[in-house]
Amino acid sequence: MIKKTAIIVNDLGLHARPSAMLVSTSSKFISEVFFTKDSLRVNGKSIMGVMMLAAEKGSKLIVETDGEDESEAMEQIIKVIESGFDEIG
Amino acid sequence: MIFKRKKLKGIPISSGIVLGHVRIVDSDIIKIPEIIIPTSRLNSEIKLFDLALEKTILELKQLRDSAGKKMGNTIVKIFDAQLMIATDTDFLNQVKEEIVRKKRNAGFIYHSMVINATAHLKSSPDKYMQQMAKDIEAVSNKVINHIAGTTVKDYRFAPNTILIGKYFTPGEILSYRQKKAIGFLVNEGGKNSHMALIARALMLPVVLYEKNISQIPNNSRIILDGTVGEIVINPTDDDWTKYKKLKTKHGPVTIKRIKKLKNIPPVSKDGKKIEIASNLSLPGPADDILSERKIPIGLYRTEFLYLAKGKFPDEETQYQFYNEIAEKFKETSVILRTFDLGYDKLAANNFWPHEDNPALGWRGIRPMLELTDIFKTQIRAILRASIHKNLKIMLPMITEVSEINKTKKLISQIKLSLRRENIEFDENIELGIMIEVPSAAIMAESLAPKIDFISIGTNDLTQYTLAADRINNKVASLYSPLNPAVLKLLKLTIDAGKNNNIPVSICGETAGDILSLPLFIGMGIDVLSMNPNKIFDFCRTVNKIDFKILKLFSDSVLKSSSTKEVINKLNRFNLALDKKH
Repeated sequence: MIKKTAIIVNDLGLHARPSAMLVSTSSKFISEVFFTKDSLRVNGKSIMGVMMLAAEKGSKLIVETDGEDESEAMEQIIKVIESGFDEIG
Repeated sequence: MIFKRKKLKGIPISSGIVLGHVRIVDSDIIKIPEIIIPTSRLNSEIKLFDLALEKTILELKQLRDSAGKKMGNTIVKIFDAQLMIATDTDFLNQVKEEIVRKKRNAGFIYHSMVINATAHLKSSPDKYMQQMAKDIEAVSNKVINHIAGTTVKDYRFAPNTILIGKYFTPGEILSYRQKKAIGFLVNEGGKNSHMALIARALMLPVVLYEKNISQIPNNSRIILDGTVGEIVINPTDDDWTKYKKLKTKHGPVTIKRIKKLKNIPPVSKDGKKIEIASNLSLPGPADDILSERKIPIGLYRTEFLYLAKGKFPDEETQYQFYNEIAEKFKETSVILRTFDLGYDKLAANNFWPHEDNPALGWRGIRPMLELTDIFKTQIRAILRASIHKNLKIMLPMITEVSEINKTKKLISQIKLSLRRENIEFDENIELGIMIEVPSAAIMAESLAPKIDFISIGTNDLTQYTLAADRINNKVASLYSPLNPAVLKLLKLTIDAGKNNNIPVSICGETAGDILSLPLFIGMGIDVLSMNPNKIFDFCRTVNKIDFKILKLFSDSVLKSSSTKEVINKLNRFNLALDKKH
């Protein structure tokens, strides 16, 4: 299991489209993916879960990946978050 | 309770006028009872839930496909997100586990878990988080209705029904339209909500009224004017006649009538062709008719790409979009106005800085010259799509020459890198500007040699010349594009175009105005670019006019000393026209 912290950098936060992007990225891997914000921990492959985080710009997200492709999964997920979901600003 | 005539001012969300009668749609779902399910029947309860999910998914797919045919990618993505919610295995498994654990009915458990999941989003001050809650509810309402066996399909509307509800989901707007609902009065949801986007794409009028509207009785007569946000409940016969007239003037029917026009561009009585063009925002039903009749696009508002998504689309998305438009109008041309944001055009987010006076602030070309990454991405996408050789670039809100110079520098940089990458584009793509700020009109003579065309945005030019906000009722009487001061600025601009041999068009709302048509043509405007619903009447009026007398007529109008005098002269001219025919 790997654990890393990422910061939401895009201005609009984790709204519908970024949430959908995160879930599609997580779903590409066999590993289990979890996101934790404050005390809420959700399944990274569940859009409802990710939406429930209501993570705004600047929030800290703990990413956990667990499984045979956990490092690859972690790498891609962090990349998507850090790129600001290809959103400018 | 008897309701007297009542006129209310709401917020215009999607333009157009409709006359009909009220039907209150309780978008709050039916009361869900809590029922204890014996262990022996838990399995069939789960099956019932699965079946409801299947039906919901099927329905969403149908909505997505039919939306895709009519409206393109932006709208499709709204339904894609909803499909993702409807197929969230993790969440749905949790629901099933709860059904079994608590031995309660599927509808009750699902509903309470959705309420739980959305509570946080709903209370967020962030409009995007609220929109997310609405997307989830759009799906869960469908599921719950399918469990209960009631669906939206059970609604039967009489002709000319105008629906009143708290909020309508994009799916509801689509299916109510199929059931012939003609307009919507809502309590929630702003100009950039998913509801608004889809209604505009379908040309369905929507007005937002934030106070209580639910006590209006069913079947009351009602008029909605989505263009200005007016609501008339129990209208008098006079109201009815007045709005009916307005409607036939501006309604979607008039767009279909474009097909019947003999000549486009229209020809005056004495044989002079008057060039017209159309303004467009999102792809919509008018596009096909416009391209079929070879009507060029004089103003394509690209900022809707941003407003629709709340984020700047990447180069590839933009390229595909511009390329599609270029192909659709391959026999004519399309003027793409670069992102025109700020002031009244902002997505509901905190990206834009707070400004005390946004009308005089960071808007139009100004932010784009600072957000150069965004601006360059857009220009690059337009250039890549320009291989069809029918795209033109137009810059909004030019105030002074430096803005043109800076943009031209950016464009040549991008052209250079495209050449290096061996990417084809139109080397001679035209660059034009919008004149909306009085300084630009006054200096038009020195701006014109730098560009290929000018388009006058009369709405802002009027507001800035007269220092009167057009949506402020207190100064509404001052605001008129026919004020002689505004006309003088138009004249300066037109003459600058003539002296420098570049075309000048008008693309503000007045461009399609029948009353001012003889004046603008007489003043020497080359092209009038109007909303599609104005084209039919405009062309018909041109047919009745003698071109050769217009120069003299407009000279006399330009000598007026007040707006009133201008309007009187125009009215007399129009009356004389009507008498002759």
